[in-house]
This record gives sequence, structure tokens and C-alpha cells, in this order.
Amino acid sequence: MTLTDTGDETTEINMNRVCDLLDKTLINQLHLMEEKMRCELNIESSINSGSIHLAKSRYIMGQNAVSIARLPVESSPEFSASTVCEITEVDNMKQFRVVENDAENTVNPLHWFGVLVPQNLHKAKSIFQNTINFVAECANIQMRLLENMANMDMLNEYKKTLKS
Amino acid sequence: MALQAAVKGKLISVIGDEDTCVGFLLGGIGEINKNRHPNFMVVDKNTPVSEIEECFKRFVKRDDIDIILINQNIAEMVRHVIDSHTSPVPAVLEIPSKDHPYDASKDSILRRAKGMFNPEDLSMFGAENYNA
Repeated sequence: MTLTDTGDETTEINMNRVCDLLDKTLINQLHLMEEKMRCELNIESSINSGSIHLAKSRYIMGQNAVSIARLPVESSPEFSASTVCEITEVDNMKQFRVVENDAENTVNPLHWFGVLVPQNLHKAKSIFQNTINFVAECANIQMRLLENMANMDMLNEYKKTLKS
Repeated sequence: MALQAAVKGKLISVIGDEDTCVGFLLGGIGEINKNRHPNFMVVDKNTPVSEIEECFKRFVKRDDIDIILINQNIAEMVRHVIDSHTSPVPAVLEIPSKDHPYDASKDSILRRAKGMFNPEDLSMFGAENYNA
């Protein structure tokens, strides 16, 4: 066996490994795409049911009682979000996690719409809080998709160098 | 301690129609910071596209925002700006709205992911056999 033969064999082994990895990454990509679509549909159904409760509250309280007119504007006093997200590292992978903000100046958003608000507005609030969890899940899948795409690019580049 | 907690968590911002913004703000993601900058923008039919673009760019630049939610129909209006954002953080998530259901073929990330499946890559799965 000559030195050139050994080199060719190593290249072939490397090529097989790269192709195997590319196959796995590609399959993973398809799974992630499917997962993202499923997650978006969860968000959609959640937003739809939340919107129905907002509409019911609007019917009870009046057209302008549940509208952007009640949302804080730039001249409103400063306040912090009660729900925030943080990036944690699980198994060497960055992940978004929804956490409650324990800052002192958070507000109860229900108070923007009045003191005695209908039950539907409470329901809408809990539905949208749940939607935020779906959002974080979807953002995590998106992050993995981007990572996967970067890996595929890298493997394709390596494959090209092996070919040449 | 409070300062440490405030630094730890980052914001979720939203650009959307009235119901999306009211809903997510009810969920508790809304904030007006000490510079009086809100992390949300309500878009209606009279909002100019340039204003949406500016707001999106401002949210991307802010280092206290980790996730930007944008209604898919609004994302369509500023598609070129969204496509130019490629970094994973802040994550830009296109969400459906009450009036516009989710369309996977319009989603920026899914289109990019789909673009990876070029005919050359798929040929190893025998894709040429399924052309009919």
C-alpha cells in the first residue's frame, strides 16, 4: 500500500462521516421545521381564544374600554415588565425561559382597564400568559433551527474541501 | 438585589395589531423604561411602513430585548428588514393574528431552512425519482 492510497482511504472515510452527519442534520432540520409549525399553530389557537375573551370584555365594558386608548404611552410613569425571559444553558444549548420579574415597580395590567373588570378579561390575561410560554418554546426551536443551518453550512463547506 | 434581578431577565417586545398588543401586554410583557421607551408598538392601517421599520430596528438595537414578536402580516410589510436580521438574539418570531392565520410559506426562518434543501442535497435521497 502506497502513501497516496492511505490518503485516499482517509478522505473516503472522512467523506462518509461528513455525509452521515449531513443526513442526520438534514433529518433533524425537518423535525425542527415541523415542530416550529406545530408551535406556531399553538400560538395561533391561543391568540384566537384570547381574542374572543377580549371581544367579550369589550362587549360588556364598551368599545373603547378594552383598546389601545387604555395602554400606557410614553408619557405614562415608568414601570417594569412582570414577565421577562432569560437565557439559560441546558446541555450546552442556549434556551429562553420565561420568568417572573421580581422588580418592585411592576404593575398589574388589569388595572389599566378598570378596578372591577369582567371575568373574561381575567381569562384573557391567563390565556395570553400561557401564550408567552408557547412563544418561548417557539423561540427555542427557532434558535435550534438557526444552529442546525449553521452546522449544515459548515459540513457542506467541509465536504467541498474534501471533494477538491 | 432588585437591580440584579432586573439585569438578569430580558424583555419580550411586540409589534402588532390592537388585539395582539393588548393581549400580550395583559400577559405582562409590557414595559416603559426610564428613558420612556415602550417595548411595544401598535400598528393600525394608517401606520406608515417607515415607522414600523424604524421601530423594528430600534428594538433590534436595544440590548434589553431578547425576543421580538411581530404579526406575520406586518412582517410582510417590512420583509427586507426582517430578512436582513440573521443573528439568533434577539429572536424575531413571526406570530399569527386574529385576522391573519399563520402561513409557513411566508415565515422568514422557515423559508431560509427550506432553502437548504436544494436539489443537489436532495439527490442523495433519490429526489430526482419524485419529480413526476
